[in-house]
Amino acid sequence: MSTGLADPSRLATPPTFQSVSTGRKIKNGLATVLVWLAFAVAVVPLVWVLYTVVARGFPSIVDADWWQKSLSGLLGRQQGGGAYHAIVGTLLQGLVCGVISVPIGIFVGIYLVEYGGRSKLARTTTFMVDILTGVPSIVAALFIYALWVTTLGFSRSGFAVALALVLLMIPVIIRTTEEMLKIVPDELREASYALGIPKWKTIMKIVIPTALSGILTGIMLALARVMGETAPVLVLVGYAAYINFNLFDGPMASLPLLMNVERNNPTQAGYDRLWGAAITLVLIITLFNLLATVVSRWLAPKTK
Amino acid sequence: MKIQRHGAVLGLVAASSLLLGACGSDNNTGAGGSTSSATAASVPVDCGGKAKLNAEGSSAQKNAVDAFIQAYKAKCSNGDLAYNPTGSGAGVKQFNAGQVDFGGSDSALKAPAEVEAAAKRCQSNPAWHLPLVFGPVAIGYKLSGVDGLVLNGEVAAKIFNGGIKKWNDPAIKALNSSANLPDKDIAVVYRSDESGTTDNFQKYLKTASKGAWTQGDGKQFKGGVGEGKEKSAGVAQAASTVDGAVTYVELSFAQDNKLSIAKIDTGSGPVELTNETVGKSIDGAKIKGQGNDLVLDLDSIYGTTTAGAYPLLLATYEIVCSKGYDADTAKAVKAFLTVAATDGQAQLADAGYAPLPKAFQDKLLTAIKAIA
Repeated sequence: MSTGLADPSRLATPPTFQSVSTGRKIKNGLATVLVWLAFAVAVVPLVWVLYTVVARGFPSIVDADWWQKSLSGLLGRQQGGGAYHAIVGTLLQGLVCGVISVPIGIFVGIYLVEYGGRSKLARTTTFMVDILTGVPSIVAALFIYALWVTTLGFSRSGFAVALALVLLMIPVIIRTTEEMLKIVPDELREASYALGIPKWKTIMKIVIPTALSGILTGIMLALARVMGETAPVLVLVGYAAYINFNLFDGPMASLPLLMNVERNNPTQAGYDRLWGAAITLVLIITLFNLLATVVSRWLAPKTK
Repeated sequence: MKIQRHGAVLGLVAASSLLLGACGSDNNTGAGGSTSSATAASVPVDCGGKAKLNAEGSSAQKNAVDAFIQAYKAKCSNGDLAYNPTGSGAGVKQFNAGQVDFGGSDSALKAPAEVEAAAKRCQSNPAWHLPLVFGPVAIGYKLSGVDGLVLNGEVAAKIFNGGIKKWNDPAIKALNSSANLPDKDIAVVYRSDESGTTDNFQKYLKTASKGAWTQGDGKQFKGGVGEGKEKSAGVAQAASTVDGAVTYVELSFAQDNKLSIAKIDTGSGPVELTNETVGKSIDGAKIKGQGNDLVLDLDSIYGTTTAGAYPLLLATYEIVCSKGYDADTAKAVKAFLTVAATDGQAQLADAGYAPLPKAFQDKLLTAIKAIA
């Protein structure tokens, strides 16, 4: 209202900056509010969840016993004990899963980018990986149960869990490896070939090191993701309140499994353990993510 | 160069996990694990065999098994047991599949399929049912001004299927002549999830209601009235907040939520829920199974008319192989069950279960001894 139709005498040379019309001010304000609202909608639940987990779980994990003891021989309502058995289980299962799936995932990724091209096998593989990405974790768990326990006759164990996690982890690693290798510029490969370096050596010495930081980040993130999986541990292994280092025999606790068991424990001790296990899991996964960041910074190609 | 760095990182991770591996402990005896030696019969326990047993099944006996594990660890320092409270169905399935050393179940194995599968799992030997854990179920209510309410099977059935809607109904009055019953609606609270408690409660109503309960039994509540709540804790909590509420729930939950507990008149006078009255009804239970297979005839408990026997219980079995374990497992299973039937009983009352009466304990011990 104030400016839009200004003094007619100054029409010839309108000022560079006219003050903004009310309509635009309102639109601007509205848009700002909406953007902030969207931001709040995204952040509030996150902060809330974090706050809840930390506030409820913190008292449990500051106790030294939490990191050193199991829950063996404790009644549901008795305070005390720790989550050592579950931490060990989560780490062991995650580690074994990683040891199996990382080489497979990386090699498949290399094949797809460097060798496969547009061949039939490569296209089939990509298609299968796409499907595998969409497999729900419970289906992976039941598949391993049918194969490992029912058909092959092994007992339920931490290793069976690791196998199910492998099914969930491999497609993620293949995908990240593929993407990372794709962004390695072809000029690097061509320069290498021009010097007479064979293809496998080019991949080993040029392509992989260039993409390594990205691949490692992907691996760490995938590992962090599978360690929080609940469905496989529910189906494939029993819970044990004692410490079990044996992946191939007997029940083995893990943090998601511990949470599931303590969820049915209505006492204060159960509540404390539930949230303690939740914050422990969050902490471990955060640690892996941090590790991923540090490692990828460290290994990133140095550009002067 | 970079590959070497990568190796260093992996080494660091491996080293830290090894460090973590070095300092764990299963020893929690300092945390209040006081297994009092107040048991009458101190039976010698032959510890040893397989160090870590594995069992799975009914969640109704989880707290009891926890107490047994504590007693077992106190008696046999190397022994331990993992119990997965995944439900009776899962327990039977895993036992029959040979995944666990014994199963826990609210109900006996179903003939013929489950019985045959169990026999196959036990190298062609029959599986035995050992009713080791009895949990009294309370009819808990909240009604201000009314203490010591008396119900019988028939009236309870009518309350839980909507036949009786008011607290001052003549049928309730007839049993509680001295009580000042208000003109209030009865708010029934039931378990909305599938539960062995519901199953046993409905079986009780079927047996004891003289035909007033026509809805049958099963793990889902079939009364068709009231409000459903999840799990025992939810049910008891909900009932404790409404004046005029009534529900069926395991004793410990009724006590924790300060519900009044109805006495049950079985035909020979009102019976209060106590360890003694529950023990009396366990003692009076008839055994359907043969020899050491202690399958209970639940009708003999639910339909009891013995004076001073509380009829409403949840009996859970440990399902074990009579023979067919390897020597190590058999030894450990026997040791665990022996401790459970003796020392383990001491803490049961605290956890809301009924300790075994002496005569029944002896029957169990005979059976446990016969496991080979």
